[in-house]
Amino acid sequence: MNQPEELLTKFEQELTQAMRAVDPPAGFADRIMARTQAQEQPRARVLRMPSRGRFWMNSGAIAAMVLAGAFFGEQSHLRHERERAEQAQRQTEQAQQAQRQFETAMQITDQTLEQVQLQLRQAGVRGPK
Amino acid sequence: MAIADEEFRRLIETHQRMVFSIALRVTSDYATAEEVAQDVFLELHRTGERLAGDDHVKYWLRRVATHRAIDAIRRTALRPEAGAEEWMEEQFVDDSGVTSAAIQARLDELLRTLPEPMRVVVVLRYQEEMLPEEIARLLGQSVASVKSHLHHGLKLLRRKAAVTMKEYVRESA
Repeated sequence: MNQPEELLTKFEQELTQAMRAVDPPAGFADRIMARTQAQEQPRARVLRMPSRGRFWMNSGAIAAMVLAGAFFGEQSHLRHERERAEQAQRQTEQAQQAQRQFETAMQITDQTLEQVQLQLRQAGVRGPK
Repeated sequence: MAIADEEFRRLIETHQRMVFSIALRVTSDYATAEEVAQDVFLELHRTGERLAGDDHVKYWLRRVATHRAIDAIRRTALRPEAGAEEWMEEQFVDDSGVTSAAIQARLDELLRTLPEPMRVVVVLRYQEEMLPEEIARLLGQSVASVKSHLHHGLKLLRRKAAVTMKEYVRESA
């Protein structure tokens, strides 16, 4: 059974009066203001893609750094190789000098032994059998 | 570009009752309502100066508050309405003694039991005093659908109000 229209209207009027807007909790506006300020802080730390000009500038700087690194690395490597070759040359020369000294020493020793044997023969001393 | 602090505070103070009330009556939860209302104003702050004039701001806040409140009840499963069908039977209800003071006393309880689509249109119709055509535009629904939700929501409310008011009168006596 349907309700009479005037009752419906009265109920709607009562509902409208009852549904007045209510106040939010105390400090509502302050809390929102605080949240907006808090949100603005991390926004500054957000990483962004660089602009086109800055992108090319950064790319150029990175390329220059890579080239410089490659150049200095190559120079360092060449210097190291040169030092190693020089050290090897020095060692070879020292070895050759030592060989010459050894040979000279052996010649002197041989000559000395020959002289001693000659003196012993002249003195009539026989060597061991 | 964000709104200047002074202007933003003025907008909050002007519209906070409306935004909070929509959020509260749609969600039926005080804490959720405050969270929703705060988020709506923060969204307004981010939206910036694209909104021209107080009427535009008011319409925008009303629309966003309604949608965010609906999102909140769907997200948090705040669906307290139950057994609506049993209240929809065509029976005569004597609600002549139902007064606005009596409805006010149990308004949250009554609204909470309405299914979400009905609750939303009832809030917009009787709290915001919007016409069905305006509600339809705001919700992106047809006018017929809004009128149907309104009709059934109101019928449900009247039945529940008549029953709970009798309990209320008994409790108060």
